[in-house]
Amino acid sequence: MPVAADIIEVLRLELRRGTLILAVLGCLRSEKYGYTLKTELGEKGVDIDEGALYPMLRRLEAQGLLTSEWREDAKRQKRFYRLSADGAAALDQLTIEWRAMNGAIESILKEGGQ
Amino acid sequence: MTDLLQRYLKSVERRLPKEQAKDIIAELREVISAKIETEEAKLGRAANADEVAAILKAYGHPVVVASRYAGFDYLIGPNYYPWFWHVQRIAVGATIAITFAIIALRSLGADEPFRAAFRGFGGAIEAALICFGVVSLLFVLAERYKLDMKWAQKWDPKTLPRDHMREPKSLFETFIALVFDIVIILWWVKVVNFPNQVPLRGDASVEIHLSEAWGAVYWPILVLMVGAAVVHLADLLHPAWTRLRSVASIAGHASGIAILWVLFRAQPLIEVGPANGADAEQTEKVFRLIENIMNVSMGVAGLIWAVVIGVEIWRLWQTTRPPAVPPMPHSLSV
Repeated sequence: MPVAADIIEVLRLELRRGTLILAVLGCLRSEKYGYTLKTELGEKGVDIDEGALYPMLRRLEAQGLLTSEWREDAKRQKRFYRLSADGAAALDQLTIEWRAMNGAIESILKEGGQ
Repeated sequence: MTDLLQRYLKSVERRLPKEQAKDIIAELREVISAKIETEEAKLGRAANADEVAAILKAYGHPVVVASRYAGFDYLIGPNYYPWFWHVQRIAVGATIAITFAIIALRSLGADEPFRAAFRGFGGAIEAALICFGVVSLLFVLAERYKLDMKWAQKWDPKTLPRDHMREPKSLFETFIALVFDIVIILWWVKVVNFPNQVPLRGDASVEIHLSEAWGAVYWPILVLMVGAAVVHLADLLHPAWTRLRSVASIAGHASGIAILWVLFRAQPLIEVGPANGADAEQTEKVFRLIENIMNVSMGVAGLIWAVVIGVEIWRLWQTTRPPAVPPMPHSLSV
């Protein structure tokens, strides 16, 4: 019996949830404002809803992983985000964790013939 | 366009934490304005109200947008939720138990016990709802302020029940049993009365009373009834099987069989008197019928209770045996 689409959707969202933060932190090694960040993520195949992106940026900033400042760009006031020193350290640790997990999952999936 | 966006942002702002609201709204204004301008660039003209409304609708309802900035997604999150139901069960169970005990005592002393008991039931439901609300509020606060849950780690696996010997009784089942206990006790001590007239053909009827045989077992029966109520109260607080529960069951059912034996030997069990013009033959017929039904019912009850005693003894015996170790799958065995 095929797995119901809504179950797959829930699993897909759970799978993406943690990885989105890693993608956002990775993109913000160079300074960006929300729109360019979303565009860059999209171009690299990581789609994120704006409604989720901005609250996430605010949470990461509150955790000290990002810094932000308001600045004028193309005649508009925009908020620019970039990785803080703590954020860079966290990104390094999470990258190690991601690669280890990715390798392990790959190995498991290969064993299963996926 | 400006008016719609302004109203939307105001609606979000009202729901945001005060200290961050201005900053969040400034960013939202910039993000949504950029989306509207992108749309206008595509259209080659200013967006009308419907087009702006569609963009705002796609961005999300103000309640949902504001909630994403709230910092907590759950009223009671996954760390607290299992404890929430555990504590609710105990707190609401204890509240119902205490309230019912108070109702029973008050009803016994009241001039109109049935009415007092009925009023008490309303109070019991109210107390249970208040308890549920207070516990819920405490857990919401625990979630909001991230209460330390280290105490939940202080448990000892050795205190867990040895075996799952009986499905835990449901709260509803126990509650109904407790209500039945209270009603039957009130009837037994003659605080409440049930109709005892059996209508016959025509207007005639007969009155049925318990015979003097029951006098000899009045107190043992009352003790058993109160004991059953106590066990049901205990079930509210601790629905899982325990050895004590099993011992109580054996003692209760054995006493029940002893009482049945006494009653069997002291026939008749009922007295039937004529009322409303019933003749002696009709009265005698009803007496024989009900006496036979009671004898058969008591015989069946005695058999069932004997089986229950056997099952409880088996359960107790099972707990004294070492637990069976399930066989290891071949792929894991050494």
